[in-house]
Amino acid sequence: MERREFIQATAAATAGGLILTQGLTLQAAPVARPDLAVVHGASPEQITRAAVDALGGMRSFIAKGDVVVIKPNIGWDSTPELAANTNPLVVATLVRMALEAGAKKVKVFDRTCNDARRCYVQSGIEAAAKAAGAEVSFVDERKFREVKIPGGVAIQSWPLYAELLEADKIINAPIAKHHGLAKLTLSHKNWMGMMGGDRGKIHQQIDHALVDLSLVIKPCLVLLDAVRILTDHGPKGGNAADVKKLDMVIAGVNQVSVDAYGATLFGRTGADLGYVVNGAKRGLGVMDLSKLNIKKLEA
Amino acid sequence: MIKARRITQGIFLLVFLFLFIQTESKGADILKTPAKLFLDFDPLLFLATLLSGHTLMKGFLFSLITLAVTALLGRVFCGWVCPLGTLNNLVGALRKWPLKTPTRRWFRVKYLLLVFVAGASLFGMQVVGLFDPLSLLVRSLSLGVYPAANYGVNAAMDAVYRVDARALTASSEPIYNLLKKSVLAFQQPYFLQGSLMTLLLLVILGLNLVERRFWCRYLCPLGALLGLVGRWPFLKRDIAEGCNDCGVCDKDCQGAAAPDKAQGWKASECLYCMNCDDGCPKKKLSWGFSKKGAEEKLDLGRRNVLVAGVSGAAAVAVSRATPAFKETRPNPSLIRPPGALPEPEFLAKCVKCGECMKVCTTNGLQPTAFEAGLEGLWTPMLVPRLGYCEFKCTLCGQVCPTGAIQKLSLEDKQKTRIGTALFDRSRCLPWAQATPCIVCEEMCPVPDKAIWFEIVQSHDRQGNPVELKQPRVDAAKCTGCGACEAKCPIVDQPAVRVTSIGESRSKKNQFLVSSGGYGGY
Repeated sequence: MERREFIQATAAATAGGLILTQGLTLQAAPVARPDLAVVHGASPEQITRAAVDALGGMRSFIAKGDVVVIKPNIGWDSTPELAANTNPLVVATLVRMALEAGAKKVKVFDRTCNDARRCYVQSGIEAAAKAAGAEVSFVDERKFREVKIPGGVAIQSWPLYAELLEADKIINAPIAKHHGLAKLTLSHKNWMGMMGGDRGKIHQQIDHALVDLSLVIKPCLVLLDAVRILTDHGPKGGNAADVKKLDMVIAGVNQVSVDAYGATLFGRTGADLGYVVNGAKRGLGVMDLSKLNIKKLEA
Repeated sequence: MIKARRITQGIFLLVFLFLFIQTESKGADILKTPAKLFLDFDPLLFLATLLSGHTLMKGFLFSLITLAVTALLGRVFCGWVCPLGTLNNLVGALRKWPLKTPTRRWFRVKYLLLVFVAGASLFGMQVVGLFDPLSLLVRSLSLGVYPAANYGVNAAMDAVYRVDARALTASSEPIYNLLKKSVLAFQQPYFLQGSLMTLLLLVILGLNLVERRFWCRYLCPLGALLGLVGRWPFLKRDIAEGCNDCGVCDKDCQGAAAPDKAQGWKASECLYCMNCDDGCPKKKLSWGFSKKGAEEKLDLGRRNVLVAGVSGAAAVAVSRATPAFKETRPNPSLIRPPGALPEPEFLAKCVKCGECMKVCTTNGLQPTAFEAGLEGLWTPMLVPRLGYCEFKCTLCGQVCPTGAIQKLSLEDKQKTRIGTALFDRSRCLPWAQATPCIVCEEMCPVPDKAIWFEIVQSHDRQGNPVELKQPRVDAAKCTGCGACEAKCPIVDQPAVRVTSIGESRSKKNQFLVSSGGYGGY
């Protein structure tokens, strides 16, 4: 063995060992992950990073080689300042973080309400996510698969997007908005974007149907975009006057908890939202904020 | 020369098809490709619109180039440029033609058709689009052939996909994705009368097997116009001493222009395909520039011309003595795209090319049957059940070649009302079934919502209390876009439907007192 090779090999081994021990100590030390990270700050990128880091960093959610789906709300033909779709910078930051954490591929898509081409372009999400390295695709109608929902109250089976369900990890990236029927659309309702068929029908029993969906779609991370929130005429909006700039994101791993906190942004509580109440009743999460470990940060 | 001509034809056909396929939303507000370029160069559309609509279109200045070139060089447009001509040429080449192919003596028909179209246009009726080769081709492709081709490819690819053999989809899916990115439509288009449009084009192409360039020789009114303008071209055929009348040039002639006749060559029938030159075994036939006068007089018959012109004028009256033209009884389903001129002016300008229907993001713009009378056949109307008018889209006005649909700014478009939505309470879920549903309100694109709710405490069959949001339309705010109708869960016959009442372009099709007194006849 040449001397140079020897040095290189030793250096590599040492570095590897360091990483290994570091990993072990991280696992060994019982670091209590907060239930929610609420981060305020002027830069959407920085608050997104800070929020995910506060929960233990993207590496605690994404393993090397994972295929990750990040599901923003791209439902409407609307521009970022009107707060109908998830903030493109938030989405792009999540994409970057997932790739940095070793994801093999990050996919971004949504089944839109308005024309998909316009939604993808006008929302700014397609360009931002692609620039960050994501694979952005339009929903392919052939890829909806009838999925049984055991324990579903309103819906026992529905066509859902196979590419989402086949992913190794799912990140839910909704925006906080007013909604005419559900009162607010937060993380639960974002999964309507992965429903095939005539999904409008679920409005007839929305507060149960949304909880039913969360029985089969299991995100590892939920990041609620509240950089701008839509306070009225949602979910589509269109009036700049209805938009409130909060410069905030809320990260968590449980949709019931995230949405319970999200309600407070609008002067409501989780108890006002039928699907949050139903989710908590069905044992899917904690809606009582006093029982949650909430970490608030400035970034 | 034949080679040069074929290459030129191929290039123009490809450019035409490229622009055709690009006539589709890419998600941006402005279409980046000049979708209507070929139509801009069409002097027939220009003149007919000038006669019927009394307006000069900026884009049509290009068509003056076509006229100038034709005056100098003859109908080179027909032989070298016209995409329908090229398709006719290709189909005609499928058959072997015998040396002595009898030709019909019908060449006058196209001139008389031109006179008919002009007569109708003069009295404000725009029928040119039915016969204009470029309108006809864009329309047939947009509404018939292209949707059918998409359907075929999608069905085949779906079949492969459903077999779900990994080896198969591994190769088919990349091909499919490539096709989707290049030539396939973003979403499968469905058009009313689509099959009819395909059949019409097939008949026109099929006639080439009866006689080469049947359409170009006998029917095409644009060919007739160019024939009239190109009667005294500088570029001419010439036969030198030593021709033995073998007839090869006549057999090869695309236009039945009698190139074999030393004195009888018909300049206005010649398509400048140059087959006669290249095919002459003795090399006695040649092309060159000369100032000599026309070799053959164009005699259409004064009586024929008169009858054709008067028929065109009479057709206006025949078409209009139907309820479609009773102004105080507008057709509820005749929802015109935003920016459409008031109906009489719209009809005077629309050339039924189908560009607007091709570009419509939601596939909601469909060809009329008789909703707008016979003369309004194949003009665009919105069928919200098939696709609503996207609130921030202005593409139809961008591609309209004549201004029948005005190019609107986004701001003006969003203020333009094309109809009004009204509820059918016997079908609406909160009204009729005591069941929650807010899809219409959710989809309403008006920023402060043209659909509002009355909150009502009701009960279900068992007597349990139910709070219902019963939707109502604020007619003063509704733009008639039809998003509510398109997304209503009562999918067969929606509980909210848009009709043309309230359309901004009409003074009479109104019902609100705030819209003025014209409505109350």
